[in-house]
Amino acid sequence: MATTIATVSITSGDLTPGSPLAVNATSTLMKTGLTTGMTMMEMGSVDIAKDYEGQLFADGPATDNGAYFIYICNKSTDATYYMEYKLHETEIGRLYAGDWMWVPYNASDADAEVEVKGKTGINTIEYAMFKSAWTLPAAEA
Amino acid sequence: MATITATINVTSDILSYPIAISKTMTMKKAGTSIGLDETLGLRTKKFNSTTAAEIATLGDLTNDGAHKIYIRNASTSKANFFYVAYHNSAAAADTAETIGKLYGGDWMLMPYNGSTDINVASSTTEIQYLEYMVFADGVVEALG
Repeated sequence: MATTIATVSITSGDLTPGSPLAVNATSTLMKTGLTTGMTMMEMGSVDIAKDYEGQLFADGPATDNGAYFIYICNKSTDATYYMEYKLHETEIGRLYAGDWMWVPYNASDADAEVEVKGKTGINTIEYAMFKSAWTLPAAEA
Repeated sequence: MATITATINVTSDILSYPIAISKTMTMKKAGTSIGLDETLGLRTKKFNSTTAAEIATLGDLTNDGAHKIYIRNASTSKANFFYVAYHNSAAAADTAETIGKLYGGDWMLMPYNGSTDINVASSTTEIQYLEYMVFADGVVEALG
């Protein structure tokens, strides 16, 4: 069984003067509802042109209502650059230069693909998905 | 202006070579180098039903901002979970848009544009605790 561990540390010494912020968490990624670790993943890097909207992860290979985790980091350095994080055609949030995100994904229905859209300029992103189940697209005849 | 940093580390032995993701970000206002300086506070909420609850509300934050939300299922059961959804009504498995599921111990940190509610719903009537915090790129003046 593979072991995948994700930790986060959120800190600030001056957000609330006299009361430093320190939020820490650690999780071990498991398959859907089980105590066995995830065994599949993919990762990569891609440039997204300004106003181009593409699928980072199609929903077809994923098991509906499964357990997945997605990491995306916007590697751009110009503070005005950002990419939109979308599910199907709905923008959830904006990942600005230098930002990263770590979110669960469950392929909730047939229209739940993970999409990204470049804004302002060419955004270079790194990404990874950790999967509890995945089916390769069928071979073409 | 405050300085809020968030660091992620992910290690895995899924592949035959080690995976080690490590990245630190400083949370900034949209399109600037100015740090975020507002939050809606760190909260813990107890759930003992499957009724959905809003943890971020449309209208509390400036629209199209560089907000971020941290959420953690503070319970330990890997059989139970919370749905998290970007939606203006109850979160559910097939709600547009359900973001994903947080099982016991799982956490997430995601960007949020403030244009719709963020809802959560427990999968069980057993007691579960959710920990969450909104880092805001602007809170509306009327919200205390």
